[in-house]
Amino acid sequence: MSTKLSNKEKQRRRAERAAAALKERQRRERRRRLLSVVGVVVAIVLVVAGGFLISSMRDDTKVDAAKIPPPGGSYGLTIGPDSAPHKVVVYEDFLCPICGEFEKTGHEQLEQLADQGKVQVEYRPIVILDRFGTYSARATLMWWLVKQHDGDAVAQKFHDLLYANQPSEEGPFPSRDDLYALAGQAGADAAALKASVEASEGAQEVAEGTKDAEALGVSSTPTLVLDGEAFTNGRTPADLANNLVKAVQ
Amino acid sequence: MKEWVGTVARLLTGGVWIWAGLAKLPHPEDSVLAVRAYQLLPGDSASTVGHLLPVVEVVVGLCLVLGLLTRFAAAVSVLLFAAFIIGIASGWARGIEIDCGCFGGGGADPHAASKYPWELARDVGLLLLSTYLVWQGRTRIALDNLLFPPLTESGLDLEALDDQHSGV
Repeated sequence: MSTKLSNKEKQRRRAERAAAALKERQRRERRRRLLSVVGVVVAIVLVVAGGFLISSMRDDTKVDAAKIPPPGGSYGLTIGPDSAPHKVVVYEDFLCPICGEFEKTGHEQLEQLADQGKVQVEYRPIVILDRFGTYSARATLMWWLVKQHDGDAVAQKFHDLLYANQPSEEGPFPSRDDLYALAGQAGADAAALKASVEASEGAQEVAEGTKDAEALGVSSTPTLVLDGEAFTNGRTPADLANNLVKAVQ
Repeated sequence: MKEWVGTVARLLTGGVWIWAGLAKLPHPEDSVLAVRAYQLLPGDSASTVGHLLPVVEVVVGLCLVLGLLTRFAAAVSVLLFAAFIIGIASGWARGIEIDCGCFGGGGADPHAASKYPWELARDVGLLLLSTYLVWQGRTRIALDNLLFPPLTESGLDLEALDDQHSGV
């Protein structure tokens, strides 16, 4: 019979069908793998994005800069006139090495700009490095007492001297007498300062200064606020100081 | 054998990632400070990295431990370790004394210089393990083996099929 296929032809068709079925299975498998990879990657991206958002929201150290009072408060030391176009608030700790770097680079220029009326700066020393002993609290207290009794100009000098003579976080720390002498060098009445310290004057005010800052979300130093916005633009403390000076020039 | 070595590498590296990430997750603010302490990232990007890093670490760690997209996770792991090695080495070279912040913590640490060599050695070791996993992607006891079974087992290997047919 002529319609009967030869064995060879049958074999060829069978092989063709098998090859087609195989190709189809391969295609499906490739598709399944691709979808699996895409699915897993999408899941990973979602988890990372979600974790990132949660982490950002839980970070309560984001300073609510808008709530931070502008310069001119009663606790800190304000330099520069009220009419200055830029307002800067500096929260710092006398022991914090980054604050030391920041001061070393920036304080002269900031004080100059304040003198020229271009910026008003309030320095708000706070005590956050008390885990290294009493130096931070002691220096802050003495600085505040000097400000109360000897005036802003002397307090500014004492502030600069404290940073110029900043000890390491590891110590050795200057003694009380060393600090009285340093205050004297800034122009303060060292004997009166000693009497005030021994009478535990000012401890409450300084503690409140720190508490107020912490209530506003200030948990690390230096925390800088420029015209109502947190200022963090700088890779190093020196960059931070230079950029801040540039921003208010 | 190589596949078992890969499994051990996965569990070690992945375990370290999960540990490191979980240690940082509860304290996002410390994580940001730790990144900032390296003084390498411009502007405020340290804060983004500080928030992102712990999550990425945990996810990469989970992928490695489960053996999910092993090659990809290992490649990310290689990049992260390379970044950490650069960070610690550059801090050391610049004379900055900081806690590496690897497992939480971070910030200034006056005794850091003596820890840098060990931290670098640890990261280089883990970088090598991760590199091994990029090369040897298939390992034992891995989710990848369920999701992406070897081709021969799913009957899709052409030669295996040909062998079956020729036997008919």
